[in-house]
Amino acid sequence: MNASPLIHCHHLTKHYRKGKQQVTPLQALDLKVPRGEFLALMGPSGSGKTTLLNLIAGIDSPSEGELIIDGQDISQLSRGKLSRWRAQHVGYIFQLYHLIPVLSAYENVELPLLLDSFSGRERRERVELALRLVGLEDRMHHKPKELSGGQEQRVAIARALVADPPLLVADEPTGDLDRDAAASVLQLLQELSREHGKTIVMVTHDPKAAEAADRLLHLEKGKLLESEALPA
Amino acid sequence: MISQALRLSRLAGKQLLRHRLRSLLTLFGVAAGLFLFTAVSSLQRSLDKATRLEATDSTLVVYRENRFCPSTSRLPEFYEEEIRAIPGVREVIPIQITVNNCNASLDVISFRGVPPDQLARFAPELEIIDGSLSDWQARSDGALLGKYFASRRGLAVGDAFEAAGLKVQVSGILDSPEPQDNNVAYVQLPFLQQNSSSGLGTVTQFNVRVEAPEDLERVAKAIDQRFRAESEPTYTQPEKAFIANTAGELLSLAAFTRWIGLGAVLAVFALLGNTLLMVQRGRVKENAVLRTLGYPAPAILWLVLSEGALLGLSGGLSGVLGAMFMLQWRRISMGTEGIALTVESDPRILISGLLLALGLGLFASLWPAWIAMKRPVVESLRS
Ligand SMILES: Nc1ncnc2c1ncn2[C@@H]1O[C@H](COP(=O)(O)OP(=O)(O)OP(=O)(O)O)[C@@H](O)[C@H]1O
Ligand SMILES: [Mg+2]
Repeated sequence: MNASPLIHCHHLTKHYRKGKQQVTPLQALDLKVPRGEFLALMGPSGSGKTTLLNLIAGIDSPSEGELIIDGQDISQLSRGKLSRWRAQHVGYIFQLYHLIPVLSAYENVELPLLLDSFSGRERRERVELALRLVGLEDRMHHKPKELSGGQEQRVAIARALVADPPLLVADEPTGDLDRDAAASVLQLLQELSREHGKTIVMVTHDPKAAEAADRLLHLEKGKLLESEALPA
Repeated sequence: MISQALRLSRLAGKQLLRHRLRSLLTLFGVAAGLFLFTAVSSLQRSLDKATRLEATDSTLVVYRENRFCPSTSRLPEFYEEEIRAIPGVREVIPIQITVNNCNASLDVISFRGVPPDQLARFAPELEIIDGSLSDWQARSDGALLGKYFASRRGLAVGDAFEAAGLKVQVSGILDSPEPQDNNVAYVQLPFLQQNSSSGLGTVTQFNVRVEAPEDLERVAKAIDQRFRAESEPTYTQPEKAFIANTAGELLSLAAFTRWIGLGAVLAVFALLGNTLLMVQRGRVKENAVLRTLGYPAPAILWLVLSEGALLGLSGGLSGVLGAMFMLQWRRISMGTEGIALTVESDPRILISGLLLALGLGLFASLWPAWIAMKRPVVESLRS
């Protein structure tokens, strides 16, 4: 395994303009996430958790500081290159799943592969593998509304996984699920980190969910408070 | 690159197919608009074909001066030999015309009485597709029907029918490159003369074929010159000019329909634009999710354009084919003063209708596509 951290934030700052006012959800944040780590982020509402995830996922760009992921400073990438980079390096898991309602589970998972040059057969194999990994190979042809919340979230995880990115980011992935469904999603994330070497950054409000991670960080007013290693 | 684009277009197609009601409603609107457009273009084009003089046209129509209806144009049949003697005239045929209705109408029946032994010589382009010429020549009450006339009335060889006070027997069906001929019934001249008020020795008009198309004007002048001093002077003009003049009011009415066509096109544009804009309103999050998955902004643009193009094209195809089918089936022919014009569609109208529909779909989706592409990802996810 490569010893350098997968994610390296150095003095990462994000400003937003709200009219005349300037908001700074992230203030000179430093963070290193080793490869394969499952990191949980907690913090009060408005503390900048989603903002940080969006920067790491390459859908937003920092105002200042460096953001090096897998050896590449992604704040320097052009918009087009950044899209390409996202497709290959990150899978994003949302609180509300954000599956496309008219597409089946299979078709939703296939979405990230449509832009690649895989053959139809390779695509099918990858989609089926991803769905098997999340335990939904028998629900392939169901539409999102025919699935439970927990199943929808697992389809969304399969979609995040299908292009085999090294990094997964999840914004309150269990926030909308009941206890059992949440537990199975967390177990799945744990497996992905431990058995498949995925680096995971997960935002959560639920201390129980945070326990599934290797490490927990608290964010407050755009700054990291303390760091504690959780017992594995 | 191309296969990626096709995959995205398929995705757009799925969105359309799976929002079935919305797509169907829009498709119906587009189809209705293009149906109108096609019908109007076919009308315009048919009239244009029937009235615009071409360099190769060689037919003149000799009519009684200052008369505009077959029931009032009367010329002595013996003019035939005089006309034939004029230099530049290749062939001439006397024609008696009887119509069921001298006014503008959508269902004119027009009989043309011609000397039975002269028809094939004057118009060698006529093709008998059913029955035979000799049967027609052998029966005094025989009729050779233009193919449109026959199909419009559901008549076949051997059938008898009665119209405009004439009872005739169908001896053959003919096909002509001139749409005019396909809409009339040829009968024997003496038969028609005996059954009309004018009687033997009088005809409505002479059709003249000249040796060389460039002689058309000169021969026309010579004919009118020849009969100027007679008690029945003539007015001679190229056949298409004759049609244009005789059907003048009908033509200006038809010209007005181009506004209907234009209106239909604008309505289709507005409908498509509205639908696509509404669709994109509801797809802000979906698009942001696709961008998060790594779709570049141009891919979103392409998705929206594909949806517009598919919607336009499928609606257009139904509308254009529907109109062509209707015209083929109903054989609408407009007539006035004994002239029957059939509204015909052709492949050029099919192609232009489809291109128009595609263009409207693309054009109407440009703005929604641009907005969708430019919308910032993070804000869209937060909304
Ligand atoms: N696009 C934006 N424009 C202006 N302000 C923004 C924007 N995005 C985020 N903010 C502000 O940044 C701050 C942090 O927002 P962020 O969404 O990162 O918080 P969070 O920790 O994820 O909160 P929550 O737990 O409620 O999801 C908030 O005050 C928010 O209003
Ligand atoms: Mg948040």
